[in-house]
Amino acid sequence: MEEQDYIQFDNYISGELSAEESLDFENRLDSDEAFAQSFRVFADATIFLQNSIRNEAETNAFKTNLKNISNGHFNTTETVATKPQKSKVFRVGKLAMAASVALFIGVFLFNQLSNPTYSDFNTHEPMTIVRGNVKDLIEATKAFNNKEYAKANTLLKTVLENDPENSELQLYYAITNIELDNFEVADTALNKIITGESAYKNRALWYSALSRLKQKNIEAAIVLLKQITEEADDYKEAQKLLDKLE
Amino acid sequence: MSEKKIHEDQKYVDGLLNNNSFIIQAIYDTFVPKVVNYIKQNSGNADQAQDIIQDTIVTIYNQAKEKGLKLTCPFDAYFFLLCKRKWLNELKKKNNKEVTINEEVLSKDDDAQELAFETSLFGEKQALFNEMFSKLGTACKDLIKATFKIKSMEEVAKSLGVTYAYARKKKSLCIGQLTKLVQESPKFNQLNY
Repeated sequence: MEEQDYIQFDNYISGELSAEESLDFENRLDSDEAFAQSFRVFADATIFLQNSIRNEAETNAFKTNLKNISNGHFNTTETVATKPQKSKVFRVGKLAMAASVALFIGVFLFNQLSNPTYSDFNTHEPMTIVRGNVKDLIEATKAFNNKEYAKANTLLKTVLENDPENSELQLYYAITNIELDNFEVADTALNKIITGESAYKNRALWYSALSRLKQKNIEAAIVLLKQITEEADDYKEAQKLLDKLE
Repeated sequence: MSEKKIHEDQKYVDGLLNNNSFIIQAIYDTFVPKVVNYIKQNSGNADQAQDIIQDTIVTIYNQAKEKGLKLTCPFDAYFFLLCKRKWLNELKKKNNKEVTINEEVLSKDDDAQELAFETSLFGEKQALFNEMFSKLGTACKDLIKATFKIKSMEEVAKSLGVTYAYARKKKSLCIGQLTKLVQESPKFNQLNY
């Protein structure tokens, strides 16, 4: 590939090409396999770099924790040779622990007593690029994960025109509508999933409830939350919210 | 997009994603002993099993983080197949001579086979990206790191003392260089691109 091609790949992923340029680019993706393959690698490289660099600290914390548990399991930890010396440091540590427990209880009580709002629960699972059709979806995914819901909304609407039965896309489309206060559109889309047979039924119930919560229609939210079944991913969160609402 | 039902064992994947110690411990208690047995019965020892298992879990974690891995089969079958595949690759790497494998068919679950295949492919891609990233020049590495740490390209340019236009172009070209290195690697053909 030429330098210009890589610049174009990047501009396309960042959504910086004009409509006409995008169309030309996509036509080339369809007709030129070497170009398309390089683009797939480039896109994967971008996601890889994004994840490994941005989440470096988080990943390292995970690896350390994993290693400790793994060592515990395989009993390969060095035998505990050094006993902790009782010292001031230790007491300071204890105090700090006590303080953090107290803080934790405080935060906990505060959370329990305050009225729940939509924004307490609107941490969405990140959207992931769907295999195959990368075109508008890359941009929609990026926009969604960057919390640019208006942009994601427009893009998802276009994508759904070609793939109207895709429950996952419908769900994300609905979420963007809740975020944008287009409740009617959101609730209609969610209802369609709830009455269908897809794996996203429970999640759609959860978001329907959140939509009602945001509309301050607490009764409707409670009715919806109670329909979420025990095996659902959102069951615990749903129970937590129910406790606070009832 | 398939409409396959997500398996309830997704809780293990989610637990890894949240760095939930209880879940990680549960994976070790429940699923790891079988893998250790398998590796020990197939020319390996406990230390090697420990490494294979740890690497496999990190790959699952990364795939969940990057690609939103959704489990459509039991974790048990998926995890076992993944570790097994990794161990067989390890054996192949170490001794080019044929190894005898106790081929115990534990899972004929198609979903598990497919998902384990996807995850190992993902892991191989990650390893290659990692390896090739380390071969980039320092200027490229620094620019890429800054780009993905600091969100605004203007700030990146400022922090590196270059113009915005230069930083923007250079970033594309550095990722391009990484792309090229990956494509030129002998391992690239096995990656299903």
